[in-house]
Amino acid sequence: MIRIENLTKTYGDLAALDTLNLEVNKGEIYCLLGANGAGKTTTINLLLGFIKPTSGNAFINEIDVVKKPKLTKNHLAYIPENLMLYPSLTAIENLDYFSGIANKKLKKHELEAFLVEAGLQESAFNKSVAKYSKGMRQKVGIAIALAKDAKVLLLDEPTSGLDPKASNEFGQLLQKLRQKGVATLMATHDLFRAKEVATTIGVMKDGQLKQQWSVDELSLKELEDSYLETMNYNSLQS
Amino acid sequence: MIRHTFTKETKELWRDGRVRIAFIIVLLLTVIAVIISANYYKNVNEQYVEASANEREVWDNQGEKNPHSAAHYGTYAFKPKYPLSLIDQGVDKYTGTSIFLEAHKRNEAQFIAASDQTGLARFGDLTPDFILLFIIPLLLILIAYNSITKEKERGTLTLLNSQGAVGWKIVLGKWLAIFLPVAIIVFVLFVSTGFLLSNLPDFGVFSWSSLWTMFITYMTYYAIFINLVLLISASVKKSGISLVLSLSVWILVCLVLPKVASNIAEYKYPYPTRQEFAENIAKDKKLGLDGHNPWSKAAKKLEQETLKKYGVDSLSQLPFNYDGYRMQKGEEHEAEIYFKHYKLLKTQYSNQNSIYKILAAVSPYLPTRFLSMAIAKTDYNTHWDFSDAAENYRIDTQKFLNTHFAEETKYGDWSWKADADFWKQLPKFQYEPPSLIETIKTNMTSIFIMLVWLFGSFTLLFFTTKSL
Repeated sequence: MIRIENLTKTYGDLAALDTLNLEVNKGEIYCLLGANGAGKTTTINLLLGFIKPTSGNAFINEIDVVKKPKLTKNHLAYIPENLMLYPSLTAIENLDYFSGIANKKLKKHELEAFLVEAGLQESAFNKSVAKYSKGMRQKVGIAIALAKDAKVLLLDEPTSGLDPKASNEFGQLLQKLRQKGVATLMATHDLFRAKEVATTIGVMKDGQLKQQWSVDELSLKELEDSYLETMNYNSLQS
Repeated sequence: MIRHTFTKETKELWRDGRVRIAFIIVLLLTVIAVIISANYYKNVNEQYVEASANEREVWDNQGEKNPHSAAHYGTYAFKPKYPLSLIDQGVDKYTGTSIFLEAHKRNEAQFIAASDQTGLARFGDLTPDFILLFIIPLLLILIAYNSITKEKERGTLTLLNSQGAVGWKIVLGKWLAIFLPVAIIVFVLFVSTGFLLSNLPDFGVFSWSSLWTMFITYMTYYAIFINLVLLISASVKKSGISLVLSLSVWILVCLVLPKVASNIAEYKYPYPTRQEFAENIAKDKKLGLDGHNPWSKAAKKLEQETLKKYGVDSLSQLPFNYDGYRMQKGEEHEAEIYFKHYKLLKTQYSNQNSIYKILAAVSPYLPTRFLSMAIAKTDYNTHWDFSDAAENYRIDTQKFLNTHFAEETKYGDWSWKADADFWKQLPKFQYEPPSLIETIKTNMTSIFIMLVWLFGSFTLLFFTTKSL
């Protein structure tokens, strides 16, 4: 579903992304870990077509994101760190609009069903989203992805700033999507959440993918140690 | 996508208290302006109808009198108030409403409304054209300045792009959401004005086609303005900067450039002062025939030519009263002089106009202003046309009086008086203003410039927002 081959993005002498190769298949959740500036967001932005790669290829559902950026967007949904919606509109209206932009014509009961599926309380459906917490907004974001029937989900630090309960609910939603066969690429700092939801975890540093494990290969402790070792944090602590 | 964005933007705008308040204020101002203008129009129109009837009655009932005395007694040509002046008063307040028609002299229009006003007139009047030309563009700025920047600032643009949004379609949806409410307000204003005018007694030559042409002119102006504001909003990142730049464009387009155009035009093609103009005419008059002076060189020459033409030895042998004949020849000579000097004024006016037209290329306000005034028949062209019609009527009146005097009396018989009924034979002054088609033809440059602005700004907006 997501295939990245030797993807490179440079800004002058600085390599924001250096020959990245990875693959996320149907029903997989790939978590990209790494410090700020490691290249996680650059990877997502390249997949979204917001920036052009210097070299290499990326495919969504086997469609080249550089050559056919509009077409690839039909197959993906994106939830940024801070999902911003239209504050004067309700959740239903926001969902209706974003679905409309993706050429999905949905009736009100269908929109409500997606919001229910995303875990939003029904009493909040017709309230202006200006009063929503970040967790509630992220749920609307999931509803937008569900309504779009996206096969690929790109998440950029989606749980950052969420309280543990909301973060846990979000994780459960990702599992639901996984069961539906959605391929998810999630950039995150949250090692524990990554261990909980991911099928594969990759660690990025200086634009390169340094390590990659199947989540079943390691315990949380081993994952933490390996991550810190990769990032050279252990040497700094000692 | 366009429909969805239109619906979303309309909801957002409607729920935004600032926009609601602004709309209500503009609507109130518009209603007040229409009421004020309708009352003003009604009063002026009543005065016109009354004055025209009174003046004609005075003319018709002047009793037995020598025709040349009647010529000096004179009459008035009144400029009709046109229905669409209710929307755009144009230069009417500064050009005067009536011209005194008398022998030997072409007078300028008198009773300039602006001269009767106090110093407060300097602040301008609350008229529909003020709202249409200045206030509604401000409202458009208020609605549109953050239309695209807010998407960037909030981060919703990123989500839109990830959903596969097409830039120009999003912008077109926003464009329609900004344009339609304003178009509806202006439409209601125009329709209610149309019905108001149609139901006024003696409402003159009102035509719905002129009203709709004016409506289309203003809609084009607003479309250009929306394009400019959206272009700014698409090109900058911050709403504050977009607002400042949009207001700067408004100041430049609506306030600065028209004044610059006026100053350049005045500087490059100045009108003669009133004193110079009068002196030049007096100088030329002295060189030619004066109908009242039989002893001048020109009069003697005419006398000799006339005697020769009719093969007689003395003026009393002529088959008409030579005094009346000389008066008419004098009138014709003076009319030529006035024609020459007014033509010079018109040339200057035309030159000034060409400056305006050049500067209209940098300000859509100018062609809109010219078209609006022309359609309302309150522009300088219509005033010149009226002034020329009044002058032609004056010349015809003098000919009518002099011919009667020459044909009905004998040479030297200055005591002769025309019948009391004679005056009624003079046709009434009736002024037909340029038709809408003629107005459009004479304003093709303004129309062309507006279309260039419209399509140019649309094209630029399309390419700027193709990928947001």
